[in-house]
Amino acid sequence: MLEKEQKLLEILKSAFQVEGKVIRNRRVEIWDHKEMVPAILLMVKTQLGYKHLNHITCIDWLEEGKFQLVYTVFSHTDKLTLFVKTKIDRDPAIMPNIDDIWDQANTYERELREMYGIEFPGLVGDQEFILEDWDEMPPMRRDFKTDVYAEKTFFAQPGREDAQDVRETITKRSGEEIPEFAKKYSRD
Amino acid sequence: MENKRNSQTIAEYIKNWSRKHSLFIMAYGTGCGAIEIPATLTSRYDAERLGIRGAATPRQADVLLITGYLATKTLKRVIRVYEQMQDPKYVIAFGSCTINGGMYYDSYNTINVLEKYIPVDVYINGCMPRPEAVIAGFQQLQDKIARGEADNGTRYKENLEWYRANQHRVIKNWRMPDYNW
Amino acid sequence: MAREKETTLYIGPQHPGITGNMMVKVKVQGDTITNASVHVGYLHRAFEKLIERRNWLQSFTILCRFCVPEPDPMELTYARAVEEIEGREVPERAKYIRTMVMEMARLQSFMLWYGGQSGSSGLYTLGQWSVGDRNYLLDLFEDLTGGRIYHMYIWPGGVRRDLPKGFKDKALKTMDYIEKRLDEYDKLLFDNVIFQKRAQGVGIIPSDKAIEWGVVGAPLRGCGIKADVRIDEPYEAYDKADFIVPTFEGGDIWARAQVRRIEARQSISIIRQMLDKMPEGEVYNKVPNPMKWKIPAGEAWAKTESVRGEVGFYVVSDGSEYPRRVHVKGAAYTNGVTVTEKILVGQNIADVSFILNSMGVCPPEIER
Repeated sequence: MLEKEQKLLEILKSAFQVEGKVIRNRRVEIWDHKEMVPAILLMVKTQLGYKHLNHITCIDWLEEGKFQLVYTVFSHTDKLTLFVKTKIDRDPAIMPNIDDIWDQANTYERELREMYGIEFPGLVGDQEFILEDWDEMPPMRRDFKTDVYAEKTFFAQPGREDAQDVRETITKRSGEEIPEFAKKYSRD
Repeated sequence: MENKRNSQTIAEYIKNWSRKHSLFIMAYGTGCGAIEIPATLTSRYDAERLGIRGAATPRQADVLLITGYLATKTLKRVIRVYEQMQDPKYVIAFGSCTINGGMYYDSYNTINVLEKYIPVDVYINGCMPRPEAVIAGFQQLQDKIARGEADNGTRYKENLEWYRANQHRVIKNWRMPDYNW
Repeated sequence: MAREKETTLYIGPQHPGITGNMMVKVKVQGDTITNASVHVGYLHRAFEKLIERRNWLQSFTILCRFCVPEPDPMELTYARAVEEIEGREVPERAKYIRTMVMEMARLQSFMLWYGGQSGSSGLYTLGQWSVGDRNYLLDLFEDLTGGRIYHMYIWPGGVRRDLPKGFKDKALKTMDYIEKRLDEYDKLLFDNVIFQKRAQGVGIIPSDKAIEWGVVGAPLRGCGIKADVRIDEPYEAYDKADFIVPTFEGGDIWARAQVRRIEARQSISIIRQMLDKMPEGEVYNKVPNPMKWKIPAGEAWAKTESVRGEVGFYVVSDGSEYPRRVHVKGAAYTNGVTVTEKILVGQNIADVSFILNSMGVCPPEIER
């Protein structure tokens, strides 16, 4: 049991002195500093066969003032998933660019730049990926309040605020009677 | 003999009658409701028997279907498409999210009330509306056309300033050509 | 040949050949594309932000809307991630039902793909047939879950309710019908010289680059690489099902279409096996009061196979009633953005929507 996973972890531990553990079968995670992440990813890609970059996840730990980045790579030969995790400062958020290792990392990083405001030095591509003409704080940061922004920017339909029954309005429009049991939910 | 029928002149009546039986819908799937449009137009529900069928470009289309939520980025394109359509033009809004925001009421990127930005003829509620509901919505629109009440294109032109003010509130960088009616 | 002037064309967001609300900006010389870039974001609803404001069970209403043509893999992947963090067991019968629902979702998505792929090459008859026949599958879903498109049927700990009375007979009947119809689709699509000539040798993904580019799903199997989450990491009852994962050489649209042709039949076979082997018993483990349901702190990554490829969820809990972070990696993210940008270069303008359909691009999944 878990031989492949242990072996992978040992190789990585001896090469980079990383912390890490086997989560369960087919899942291995390692933690390192952000400067080491490109080197680890390049090594697992070229030497260990982890050729498929699944995605880059960012988790905002607002209380700690940190962003956690998770690089998920998968090996089609071993059928193992490796997570390379790191924590970076929230302000200023800078992370080494890896789009020279995987081309598709370019779009992932552009999304992170837009949604979290993480800078990747040397990243080419339009500043805008998903949003358009956005001038507030990057929206996926936890201190961005989406409900406040929506209330301020968009119109609200009357009746949404208290979620009361709107049958009365509808009956006025269509001319039918409100049934007796429904009257207690009415607006007035 | 009076030259009238249902309080319309005969010419108007015939015009509306022919309009209501040829509704070309704009092929623009703006949101998730677009998944029920193929089902509505194909063999089982067969909306074409009511004269409803697809059109490829705004110039040829009569009906703009807003199939669900509109992200602000799409709203800009929808306004552009709507202004390019020829009169008479109708808008059918699809799903709860065009009525009051639906489940996206607190999202920073979707508008909540569609009729503040472009005039809406018929709302179809539900998330998402079934093909039967879509056809019922189209029939309501047809009734409205037959009564001669579907003139929202003119309403939009007359109240353009009010609509523009609302649109500018959401679309921050207005880089669109002024449409020449 | 004289060098023609380079022109920029915007295909979409309003374009009948585009697979949803997205835009492909291409630079062309004459008819040939020299550069392509995919622009997304027209469907961005900030789902991942909204999920942070919904509790664990409320998130399901949002989750199924991640990809409209095929919502069930999203529910299952999230449910599996939550189960892994919480350590919740799933009853055996629920596993079989889940597998069956997944295959039904795959099958109805294949039918939609038949319509899109043939429609973009001008064969509208097949679109009328397959999208019309898809309604029979949606009827099954309606019997089972109450909804045509969005089901919210799979929960952490099982499925929402047991199969309704008479479901098995109806499902088997529908499968017989659809199997019969698939043969007729083949005559229209795969025996059609127009489709053969347009599909062969177009939109080629080089097989030595496919994994590195991040290609997943049917396009990857069309490059001759046997990769499928259902056999790589068997989930639910897939290890008890007997099915093949087809691979084809070539990497072009033809190979991808062939993969899907076989897979649609495999889906029918798996649904039959699941209905046949399904054990009796409970279908869910009771979850606590959803409003007070807390998940212990932890992180989990779950993935499942949809029609377009693997769907992965990275779910993080901080021990409260609300998810800390739910990150979705849809299959279309790489297939539809970077890979499409690369394979479009050198192709004809007329083939753009053809290639997009064969890659299974689903914009709501990209921008969420």
